[in-house]
Amino acid sequence: MKTRMKIAAAVIAVASLGLAACSSDSGTTAEETTAAETAAETTAEAPAETTEEAAAAIKACQVTDVGGVDDKGFNQKAFKGVQDAADQLGVEAAVLESQAETDYIPNIQSFVDQGCGIIVTVGFLLGDATKEAANANPDLPFTIVDFAYAEGDITNNNVLGQIFNTDEAAFLAGYLAAGMSKTGKVGTFGGINIPPVTIFMDGFYYGVQKYNADNGTKVKVLGWNPKDQKGLFTENFESLDDGRTFAQNLVDEGADIVMPVAGPVGLGSAALASELGTDKLMIIGVDADQFESDTANQNVYLTSVLKNMDVTTFNAIQAVVDGTFEGGVTIGDLKNGGVGLAPYHAFDGAVPQKLKDQIEAIKAGITDGSVSVKG
Amino acid sequence: MSDTRVTPAGPDMPEESYAYSEKRTRELTKGQVRRARILGVVMLVLAAAVVLLLIPGTTGVATFDLSLSDEQVQLAPLAIPSTGALYILAMVLAFLGATQFFRGFQGKATIILGISFGVFVIAVMIWATAGEQFNLTSMLVSTVARSTPIALGALSGILCERAGVVNIGIEGMLLGGAFTGVVFGSLIGGWVGLLAATIVGGILALLLAVLAINFRVDQIIIGVVINLLILSLTSFLTAQLLVEKPEWNDAPIFPAIKIPILGDIPILGPVLFDQTIMVYAMYVLIGLTTWFLFRTRWGLRTRAVGENPRAADSLGVSVYKTRYLAVIYGGMVGGFAGAWFTLGTVGRFDEGMTGGRGFIGLAAMIFGAWNPIGAFAAALIFGFSDSLQQKLAIIETPIPGEFLAMAPYLVTIIVVAGLVGRVRPPAADGQPYEKQ
Repeated sequence: MKTRMKIAAAVIAVASLGLAACSSDSGTTAEETTAAETAAETTAEAPAETTEEAAAAIKACQVTDVGGVDDKGFNQKAFKGVQDAADQLGVEAAVLESQAETDYIPNIQSFVDQGCGIIVTVGFLLGDATKEAANANPDLPFTIVDFAYAEGDITNNNVLGQIFNTDEAAFLAGYLAAGMSKTGKVGTFGGINIPPVTIFMDGFYYGVQKYNADNGTKVKVLGWNPKDQKGLFTENFESLDDGRTFAQNLVDEGADIVMPVAGPVGLGSAALASELGTDKLMIIGVDADQFESDTANQNVYLTSVLKNMDVTTFNAIQAVVDGTFEGGVTIGDLKNGGVGLAPYHAFDGAVPQKLKDQIEAIKAGITDGSVSVKG
Repeated sequence: MSDTRVTPAGPDMPEESYAYSEKRTRELTKGQVRRARILGVVMLVLAAAVVLLLIPGTTGVATFDLSLSDEQVQLAPLAIPSTGALYILAMVLAFLGATQFFRGFQGKATIILGISFGVFVIAVMIWATAGEQFNLTSMLVSTVARSTPIALGALSGILCERAGVVNIGIEGMLLGGAFTGVVFGSLIGGWVGLLAATIVGGILALLLAVLAINFRVDQIIIGVVINLLILSLTSFLTAQLLVEKPEWNDAPIFPAIKIPILGDIPILGPVLFDQTIMVYAMYVLIGLTTWFLFRTRWGLRTRAVGENPRAADSLGVSVYKTRYLAVIYGGMVGGFAGAWFTLGTVGRFDEGMTGGRGFIGLAAMIFGAWNPIGAFAAALIFGFSDSLQQKLAIIETPIPGEFLAMAPYLVTIIVVAGLVGRVRPPAADGQPYEKQ
């Protein structure tokens, strides 16, 4: 009896040691199955007329940042570009989700090993990992969302950096928020204090100031000060309950419109707004049109600051398919539609026509350069 | 608290002789004197910090709102002249420190140190808020809400470890509970979700129990495996199920329920008595578990198998059965705590949404000396610093938010390092028991 127990214990101990040993990349392995299946599905769903192409299809592979591919915003939006490419260009789509920053390098490497035709990395935080992989595989095209490398960083110029003048769209959102606030205070908070996040908050802040200057009001922005680049941050992109608490704190300090710039964390703020009612709290979505993606709480979104990385990602994949891919930097702005303001949807009737006109005028001003979004 | 502990009686305890025990007493006294001196110095340093770091350049009135906008009774905001208040607080700290240094508060020294830290935190708050304004009640409400999963996670750990099984899989149990809660909550209803989350926590704990108790696998490894397994599994299921079927990821949220009369008390009402059912459940579980552990036969047996399983066994206590019960109960608390993340706050699941709160629960367990009420207090401190950090970020203080976020862990290290008296885990914690 005792010996048997010992053997069993030993077996399990060894098994769990083995598990523990490979658990450092177990996230990746589990995800790979998902990716493979997703890819299979996507290929199967691809329209019939592209099947000839699909035979020789290149594989477009995306590595997400933490937060997951279904975050209703950032990662999901970029993956839409890959999916669109799968539908329209007949490429094969695959995705690996990063559970932690330590997954970036193994995920990219795993795609390199699978023979991907282009690797899309989503997020500023993947900058170093992408650079390393791109330099190690100089003939493989990469494109990264939210990162622009300095000249000479990428030896073979095989990375296309996608950056966005998000502040132009956020400026409009700030202007709108200032015009819609009843309490005279609006709030914002971010995920991590990094440029692709704070650029939203900068634009939002200066948009509010512009409204104040144009209309003689004193609407205050809580949670961000662009002068010293300090403000309210959750320090993560995962804890949805942070989104709720942070928004609650802003509401308690008097804000009635909040723009969370923290990926899925903002969904927690939307849940709070849905509970409190939109007379107490309205949310400004980011990245995607969250009225459409967050269907559970869609009526709390006053608008969304769009960052159309699906378009830029699609274009990069198309360039690879056409054989015209070139590294460098592509900038999305209001003018070329890389960023934008979503429709007001449920609030269309609530936004006064005068404010709508003002926003259109400002939009034209930003596009022709007569309005500066830098304060 | 020491009266409720089973005295450790390990085999390495030397025989008591008169000479030995006298020597030990003298040594202890020396040690105590030194410790009292160190504590006194710490308090004096705090006083000096207030005078030298906080007072210079601080002017204006720090204003704290005391009522939320939807309360019936609206209190006037508390306006504190910052400079005067800081001088008074510095004097209080200096007085406490000097008394501790020269005379010592003996048994009360730990409490006095806690009070000193509290006074120092108030000083920092007044300094940071000078010329500004924030809502104190709102901060305290979020303190309680934020500490709920931490306190419940800690409670889960306490139940397991008091019985001698180390549970570092709390994070996995939270995540498993959060996921199950949202799926069942969306499909059937919030209460069913809560129940399912609790059951899943119990099942994970059963896995821990079987491997740790029967097969005597290293308990740290099992905990790590549970955490990684659940993280990967929930991510996989999210991608496979929840993305395809968003209606499975849209659970009802338990609303805040105001307790009549109590909920109308200014400040305390909204903070303690206008919370969700999960928070009330936490109060009950903390109380019940304390009573169970320290006032019932079952609790005595649980603690006995955690301190000295062989002795308990020789008295006819079934070590395996007792450990199984405690671990499964602990796991169920962990699963329940996980449901807070989905059913108690946002009604949807996202990968990794527990954000390491299970590990913070472990820290709270140690900080609270493996005692439910202590762990609750520790969780409140973590929740407080978290909420204070948010408020200070909103009013744009000069302190870096990262430092504030770090502060509670710094305190935990100080506590674990033994400044506030030794914190001792159950003697047989983590040691598998082999019946002879």
